[in-house]
Amino acid sequence: MEFNELLIIAVSAIFINNFVLTRFLGICPYIGVSKNMDSAVGMGFAVIFVMTLASMVTWLINAFMLKPTTSNIFYIIFNAEAPPDLTYLKTIAFILVIASLVQFVEMVVQKVSPALYKSLGIFLPLITTNCAILGVALLNLDNDYNFIASIVHGLAAGVGFTLALVLMAGIREKLEMAPIPKALQGIPIAFLMAGLMSIAFLGFSGLKIQ
Amino acid sequence: MKDILKLGGILLLVTAIAGAALSMVNAITKPRIEEQKRLVTQRALTTALPKANPEAIVPVTENESVSHYIGYQTTEKQNIAGYAFVAKGAGYSSIIETMVGVDTTGTVMGIKIMQQVETPGLGTKIEEVRYGESSSWFQDQFLNRIADGLIVDKDGGDIISVTGATISCRAVANSIKKGMGELEERLGGFKVN
Amino acid sequence: MSLSNEFSKGFYKENPVFKLALGLCPTLAVSNSVQNAIGMGAAATFVLLCSNVIISMIRKGVPKKIRIPIYIVVIATFVTIVDLVMAGFAPALHKSLGIFVPLIVVNCVILGRAEAYAGKNSVLYSFIDGLGMGIGFTFALAIIAVVRELLGDGKLWGIPMFGSGFEPVLLLILPPGAFLTLGMFLGLFNWLDTKRSAA
Repeated sequence: MEFNELLIIAVSAIFINNFVLTRFLGICPYIGVSKNMDSAVGMGFAVIFVMTLASMVTWLINAFMLKPTTSNIFYIIFNAEAPPDLTYLKTIAFILVIASLVQFVEMVVQKVSPALYKSLGIFLPLITTNCAILGVALLNLDNDYNFIASIVHGLAAGVGFTLALVLMAGIREKLEMAPIPKALQGIPIAFLMAGLMSIAFLGFSGLKIQ
Repeated sequence: MKDILKLGGILLLVTAIAGAALSMVNAITKPRIEEQKRLVTQRALTTALPKANPEAIVPVTENESVSHYIGYQTTEKQNIAGYAFVAKGAGYSSIIETMVGVDTTGTVMGIKIMQQVETPGLGTKIEEVRYGESSSWFQDQFLNRIADGLIVDKDGGDIISVTGATISCRAVANSIKKGMGELEERLGGFKVN
Repeated sequence: MSLSNEFSKGFYKENPVFKLALGLCPTLAVSNSVQNAIGMGAAATFVLLCSNVIISMIRKGVPKKIRIPIYIVVIATFVTIVDLVMAGFAPALHKSLGIFVPLIVVNCVILGRAEAYAGKNSVLYSFIDGLGMGIGFTFALAIIAVVRELLGDGKLWGIPMFGSGFEPVLLLILPPGAFLTLGMFLGLFNWLDTKRSAA
């Protein structure tokens, strides 16, 4: 795959089809951890890391365990007549893999770098139920991305998520001082802000990248 | 250690039951899903190649996937009525898939959008059928054009795009144009009128 | 704990979307038309109902340490069933909901009810809880979708509601409209609450 195509995938995932603001993936952490900048940055990096890793692993699972090709390992192990089509198990396989992956990353980070664990650790368990992670894995599949493209897409989706999250945290820190009607304080105003940000991001859809 | 084995065993058992249940459901729904897919392709092919005999449209495969279809006028597969292919282009929020039929001179005979998940009320209007008409006004504009004429108004052409949905319209036009170029290469050129 | 109370709490008092702010991704994503919203609501309700019942049935045999992975497997199984059945019998709906069908797995409403309710209560109560919460979720989706489709596209259930002179507010059908509409609804429910507690 050409460099150009990878660039298009990346720019599109960060700006044009931003995971949070136009695809509506990962809304819970977007609203939940955007109250202050430090946790937003921490969550952002944890998501970038896990998303990239998850794109990689789920692509391999799909290519060598689920897809009906001659390189399917079940086809090779059981010497089956025809390669089995196990793609219907993708949801269950992916979510289990992501859940174990998150656990595994948590353990490794804790052992290798306690300092990093201190800043990212508390966000990792939350990531399992972040629909953006499973979402990126499913989108890689839908778009027929190859291995490299999947990784780039995962990385860019994470960056896009972090961008939206950090921008939001910046705005919400300022909102603390603002005189907001009582009924709109907290989550409602966060959604209204997200709507305005989403309008701003609509502008990127005019980008002509072909 | 014993604990881990026990917990692992339980988890394995639960997953195995789930897998077994799903393979049963899959066995029931699979033929149905495939039939649905076949129907969509079949319907699109009939729209794209109106002059071909619906019974005589055959897929041509290249590297184990269908590259294009050849439609014959009669079931004896003698006179070629035209070719059809699936054009794919990235729209605003989805990949738009269009079945395109061209005759032997490379003129569009029919198109049918097979898949799109664009914004309701905007991008989805590429499939809009106006009251009292029987086919989509946007798609009808593509008929009787050659590849060079497939440019939307915003890019200087004369295909009128749906208001507010230039990206979706451009995706359709550009993907068809690109697909026709690829088809021409595959066939070694269209016939000249 | 009365049955009718367990059933009705999902509509207003503990509405998963408006009160608990759960399951927001699908709420925003598929509320661009009433058809999509009802389809998604029905699919989620089915999964919620089945997973609540199964989890409540097996709750005594599930070791505490691995309860979450087991819940996820149960939920994922029902989600896949919905996915396959929808692809076979309602292909148009399946396509327009797209990846949000498999993503029901990570809908926090469902795992949330499994953890907070079905893992601790009897089968009958879990069933009622699942049904109430599912309908509450569907109701929330539908009400947002009505606003967005009606004002943003001038239609309801795909049928034009106004004459040709109506200029739809396009913004509402676009992604920002989802955020703005949900934000306003959350504010409205907050306001109703404060008014009620003041009275």
